[in-house]
Amino acid sequence: MTRPIISIRNVGMTYPFKGKGQPLTVLENVSAEIAAGEFVCIVGPSGCGKSTLLNIVGGFIFPDSGEVLVEGERVTGPDRRRIFVFQENGVFPWLTVEDNIGFGLRRRAADEREKIVHHYIAMVGLTGFEQAYPHELSGGMRQRVEIARALSANPDIIYMDEPFGALDFISRLKMRGDLVRIWNAEKKTILFVTHDIEEAVQLADRVIVMSTRPATIKEDIRIDLPRPRDLDSRGYLELRDRIFHAMGMSLRIGEEESPRLGTAAV
Amino acid sequence: MSVVPAEKKTTAIRPTPPKKANPRGALGVYLRPALVGLIFLLSWDVGVRWMHSDIFPTPFDVVKGVWELAQAGLLLKYIVASLFRVSIGFALATLVGVPLGLVLGWSIPAFQAFNPLIQIFRPISPIAWIPLAILWFGISDAAPIFLIFLASVFPIAVSTISAVRNMQPVYLRAARNFELSRAELFRRVIFPACLPQIITGLRISLGIAWLVVVAAEMIAVNSGLGYLIIDARNAGKRYDLVVAGMAMIGLIGLGLDLLVRRLEHFDEVRWMYAHRR
Amino acid sequence: MKVTDVVRHGRRCAPVERRGDISAVLYADFFMPSRSRSLASVLLLFAAVWLGGISALHYILNLHTAENKFAKVAKKDKFRIGFLPVTCHLTCPVSDFINQKMTGDNIFEPIRFSSWPELKEAYLSGQTPATFILAPMAMALREQGVPIKIVYLGHRDGSAVMVHKDSNIHRMEDLRGKRVAVPNRFSNQRLLIFRALRQAGMTINDIELVEMPPPDMPAALYAKAVDAISSGEPFMGQTELDGYGRVLWLTKDVWPNFISCVLAVHEDMIKTRPEVVQQLVDGIAQSGKWLDQSMDHRMQASQFVSKNYYHQNPRLLEFVLSKPPDRVKYTELEPLRKDFEEIEQLGREAGILKGTAHFDDYVDPSFARKTTHLRAFAWEEKP
Repeated sequence: MTRPIISIRNVGMTYPFKGKGQPLTVLENVSAEIAAGEFVCIVGPSGCGKSTLLNIVGGFIFPDSGEVLVEGERVTGPDRRRIFVFQENGVFPWLTVEDNIGFGLRRRAADEREKIVHHYIAMVGLTGFEQAYPHELSGGMRQRVEIARALSANPDIIYMDEPFGALDFISRLKMRGDLVRIWNAEKKTILFVTHDIEEAVQLADRVIVMSTRPATIKEDIRIDLPRPRDLDSRGYLELRDRIFHAMGMSLRIGEEESPRLGTAAV
Repeated sequence: MSVVPAEKKTTAIRPTPPKKANPRGALGVYLRPALVGLIFLLSWDVGVRWMHSDIFPTPFDVVKGVWELAQAGLLLKYIVASLFRVSIGFALATLVGVPLGLVLGWSIPAFQAFNPLIQIFRPISPIAWIPLAILWFGISDAAPIFLIFLASVFPIAVSTISAVRNMQPVYLRAARNFELSRAELFRRVIFPACLPQIITGLRISLGIAWLVVVAAEMIAVNSGLGYLIIDARNAGKRYDLVVAGMAMIGLIGLGLDLLVRRLEHFDEVRWMYAHRR
Repeated sequence: MKVTDVVRHGRRCAPVERRGDISAVLYADFFMPSRSRSLASVLLLFAAVWLGGISALHYILNLHTAENKFAKVAKKDKFRIGFLPVTCHLTCPVSDFINQKMTGDNIFEPIRFSSWPELKEAYLSGQTPATFILAPMAMALREQGVPIKIVYLGHRDGSAVMVHKDSNIHRMEDLRGKRVAVPNRFSNQRLLIFRALRQAGMTINDIELVEMPPPDMPAALYAKAVDAISSGEPFMGQTELDGYGRVLWLTKDVWPNFISCVLAVHEDMIKTRPEVVQQLVDGIAQSGKWLDQSMDHRMQASQFVSKNYYHQNPRLLEFVLSKPPDRVKYTELEPLRKDFEEIEQLGREAGILKGTAHFDDYVDPSFARKTTHLRAFAWEEKP
């Protein structure tokens, strides 16, 4: 890999268990490297620590061991050049769509800001809703606002923590499509956490599969499929199956679980 | 002779759904409470007559009492005096309580340092402060204003503290992501996020301030609705004026509450109340 | 996605996705203020206008009254005297009123309180350098080291014990086991009852004594919450006037020339401005003599005091000042040693006085002595 933009080195995270005595090791010796412009998905079962990992990379939490380097520098806190998109409620409810998206642009001149804001409103498909307030919008529209807000700050990297997790199936499909189109246009590095295997295969260049707690990286699978991804193609299904296997999950719903499987901490 | 079939009147009749009255129309907002009020007044009147009480006034006696005050030019004076004291006391309480609440809610060391003291002072009734109020402020408007201030500042501070502490952490994370300075953080994120709860605290506190006005005017001031009640009591059998004073306090309290409720309709805070039925 | 065009108070907005929530209905609500301005600006504007307006109104209506405008003496130089709306303190408003009418102004400003504790606190904090006060209370304060000096009396007699007319209490002995209300621990009424009980061969433990503010006593008697009440007038007379009270005994029957309230001033005032104190005592003495000069004067006083100072029904004061005529007396109001020694002794027995202060400690009779030659105010109310 040419000089990686994100370098995760031996990151470990342990939470002291309240009361019971045994500390909870969430992450253990996680290492990975991500190149600029890559779209990388991290998948894993619920509670495996993938969100924790993303928060560490984003600079909101400090790891107990190891370090994260972004663009060669050690991460010590959140940074304007790397914007985090949250699962829900990240949008400020007291601001209009317009003001939310322009939140990171306060230092710019008013007309320049307006131009940028309108550009991204159009890109996420919210034209006409500039003056609306978040509580008047649907969940999908709110996530669009948040994505637009992240984009308008022109970051180098966007971290996304299960951003479509609160949406319904159809909205999710739509949002994925829009995200891919945006990524194609803007060419940002995206680090995307999800529990949805299909989503990972539909979106990413690379899928990092994490194990259950204490989480390490089980597999790092490269997705070579051309975009737009065809959900019917054999390549897609093969890669999807591979990830299912890597996570120890059966493709048959309702099958008897073998001892090797079913240790997912759900 | 052509037979023209009679126009079939019995075409399929689409059943119309029953018309539901808009719960927020004029009927609901004005008529229902007026009805309840009327029933209340009637019960009051009947109750007094039935008990053959010659001390307790009927609603009509109360209205006559109010008219008597208006004739003597006292009604406006008393209402203005009480409103003045409550306004100044409440305004001071807001100016002190909101910043104090913001600081104590945000800074854990400050909260640990000052919260126990606040919780000690909070339950002390304003009436208990009357001797000290006389000592420090004498016999003037300052003493009732002080008491009203005391009664209001604690609910405001406590609800502001609670607003800050219960703020969604995701807003703070998003703000930190944009590398806001401390001042910007407070101004653009923390304060707007807490504003709905602060306004709720203000509403509750205004109600308390207005409630305390009777106690606050027990000190030797010579005007105000609370004074009216105390004075009527001293004057012997003027219970009609006592109840008239109570009625006016109640009605003005309703007006004040409705006024503050209108604040809740602004965009900056509507988002928290938007899921109310 | 069903789309509805909604007009938001003047601002046409693009279709808002209807999710079935009521926000659209709220738009049609009555109480929608115009939101063209932000919350902050509206709030600040409203607060400024309201505070300014209400302060101005308050100043005009309540503080900036005509009397203050034409006062010859600035308000802050006035000498404040505390009093309660009882007949015991009648000489205070009477002298204030007559002085105003005769000279156009007064350097004394009477301040009306509604209860004994407030009156006492105002005196203690220096707000009222002179005040009418219960005699045992003044003595107890002196014992506690407060620099208070009694200079004159309020009136003589003028107290009573009332019972409900339907009760079968006709003698002191009938009060055994009953509930009796007195104004204050330090009131002379309490000592009175103490003395009356002793005369009837009973002790304080034979009755249940409760403390209650005098204005509440008539209602309590009416509702039979207490069996007997005792305080200064006009609250006793009120029960008679309203037809449910009956006199058990008047003070003049149990303790002739009984004194209830006194006029007291701060010791510093005596030291620094004795001439003002003398002026005060002179005025009080003169108004007392005026009140006792004729029944007509008393009737006049009932009118102007009720209307301007006590805010009570004039009929009440008229009744109390005339039926019987010697119900209260406003002359011979020099503080005398033997009166106070009697109170001291009873107070010690009742447990409210320690006996550490004596007549010379808490009384300064010099001012009263100089009033003996004075005559009543020469003033009549013009019809």
